[in-house]
Amino acid sequence: MDITTFISQTIVYTTVYALVSLGIVIGGRTGIFNISGEGIMLAAASSGFIISYLTENWFFGYLAGALVGCIIGFILVFIHENFKVNQFIIGISLVLLGSAFSDLLYKMVIGARLFVPMAPPTPEVNIPLLSKIPIISGFLNQDVIVFFMYVMTLLAWWFYYKTKIGLETRAIGENPKATDVVGVKVIRRRYLATITGSALIGVAGAYLTLGITGAYSPDISAGRGFMAVGIAIFASWKPQRAIIGAFLFAAIEVISFKLQIISHNIPFQFFLMLPFISVLIVMVLLKKQVEFPASLGKPYSRE
Amino acid sequence: MKEQKKDKSQFLTNFLRGLMVYGVSIFLAFVIISFFIALLGYNVPRALQTLITTSFRSTFGFQETIKKTIPLIFTTYAFTIPFMIRFFNIGGWGQMLFGGTMTAVVGLLLVNVALPSYMMIPLLLIVGILSGGFFALIAGFLKAKHNINPIISTIMLNFVAYLFVNFIATAPLFKDPLEGHPITKPLPDSAMLGFFKGIPYSIFLAIIAIIFVFIILKKTKLGYEITSVGYNPSAAQTYGINFQKTIMLTFLIGGALAGLGGSLEVINIHGKLIEGFAKTSGAQYGIFGILTGLVVAGNPLAVPISAFLISVLLVGADSLQRTMQIPVEMVFFSQAIIVLSIVTIREKLSRGGK
Repeated sequence: MDITTFISQTIVYTTVYALVSLGIVIGGRTGIFNISGEGIMLAAASSGFIISYLTENWFFGYLAGALVGCIIGFILVFIHENFKVNQFIIGISLVLLGSAFSDLLYKMVIGARLFVPMAPPTPEVNIPLLSKIPIISGFLNQDVIVFFMYVMTLLAWWFYYKTKIGLETRAIGENPKATDVVGVKVIRRRYLATITGSALIGVAGAYLTLGITGAYSPDISAGRGFMAVGIAIFASWKPQRAIIGAFLFAAIEVISFKLQIISHNIPFQFFLMLPFISVLIVMVLLKKQVEFPASLGKPYSRE
Repeated sequence: MKEQKKDKSQFLTNFLRGLMVYGVSIFLAFVIISFFIALLGYNVPRALQTLITTSFRSTFGFQETIKKTIPLIFTTYAFTIPFMIRFFNIGGWGQMLFGGTMTAVVGLLLVNVALPSYMMIPLLLIVGILSGGFFALIAGFLKAKHNINPIISTIMLNFVAYLFVNFIATAPLFKDPLEGHPITKPLPDSAMLGFFKGIPYSIFLAIIAIIFVFIILKKTKLGYEITSVGYNPSAAQTYGINFQKTIMLTFLIGGALAGLGGSLEVINIHGKLIEGFAKTSGAQYGIFGILTGLVVAGNPLAVPISAFLISVLLVGADSLQRTMQIPVEMVFFSQAIIVLSIVTIREKLSRGGK
């Protein structure tokens, strides 16, 4: 396998990991630790697929995925801020909800068919000249969602480090009370951030079915929603580090997949374990550098 | 005298509160289930009747319910015990898989040794307990020594365990050559735990496990430590309770119980290792263990009842799918709604009461 193909395949999975971990980072920056990514991805994968299959339009599929993300994100903040339920408990319940919902919806609308229905393909972006250069073309000969991910990562970095609102938003994660005193509407920001973040996770979920496989299958996210939580943590909630982490895990996933085909002496299952084990190893290695927003996981009240 | 009266009224408020939490949540869930059934164009009363009564209408239905309840009790404990000190073990499934797989490995390696049952069965159960406990201890260790969120580590380990099952079930040494799927050769007869009138003997081990958890939590120093860490971690640490040790022990106990559950599935239900054995109604016992654990709010003594009720719904869900073609996921979906509303209403009431 040449390097350009390798990069090209890695970027496809990077898109999934990066969008999900970016979504988690955005929520986390205001203090909402959103671990329901796996559930959002599954629900968005199936509803995105169904909408795009029925309307024969790729865009509506992603829109539906984002919308599902918004709804689940809203439920998370709503229950947390109004009833003060632990964020992890809500998150886990939402994962259960999302994964049950995804299969239920698919069975109700599509059901079992002789031929697996396929969604319309996501359009590719064609940049003249640049797409002919080896290596670089691996990054650029991609579909629109990959470019969406590039833009979102840049935008998030610019927002947090170059704008006043971004600085305020980072401050909410560190000290909500102090930012409230200055006049920032903490709760409203939490809603906005978590819903935006969850919408990105929804797009990533829809990308699994619409962009990668073209069809829906149960448990299609295969733990990536949780691996992205790992990425968000050791990226210390920084968008620019999250995309690097996403690339790293996507590369490990692609490599382990290739190795299991090539190797004859070592059972393939051990190669497939690599991505999961490497999450743990990376987290142990980087534990010293990890920083958490101070108010992460805590409900905010003005009392 | 006054104290007693206060206790009584306290008990009554708690009871009413509980009744309200569960009543409202279950009512809500049934409204949602009815909505879906109506949406699919089925007879709502008939479907609800099937859902609730299948377990009690026939001996077979009841046996099936018990067969689901037993492993569910084990995976629920795997979640509940670390949850008592506010840590999330999402890895009950992986620990069950690992315990079951190691049991099958040892059982198959001892095929030619011909140990008698009274030695073979305890040996295999111990293998299951130790390997399940070891597998959970990895996550406990990563939390205690490296501060890695157990939600992530246990989920990663679930995938590792799943692939490990596949490896063993397809390994030339163990695989049944006549089977197309990843399934091992049967374990020797001396390793099998039998049935009594269709009820697996593993029910006795489930009962022992319930008593064991009760004794650990209520009668030992460790139980006291777990309760106090759960109540107030920083105060407990100030009074000299080793927090790291408590974390590791709760994961160890939870995982050991899940491993025992996996072991029992192999030697009592299947008699061999089947890929995807720790599943019911097409979903993992681990998932239902988390559901059940959240329903009981980490109260280990309520686990058996809650596990039984969830199993009743699962048996009903299977029957709905068989007889009325209503997807089982509909019941999973409403179970998730039940859990979400139970945790929300409970939190609301407990804060309102303060």
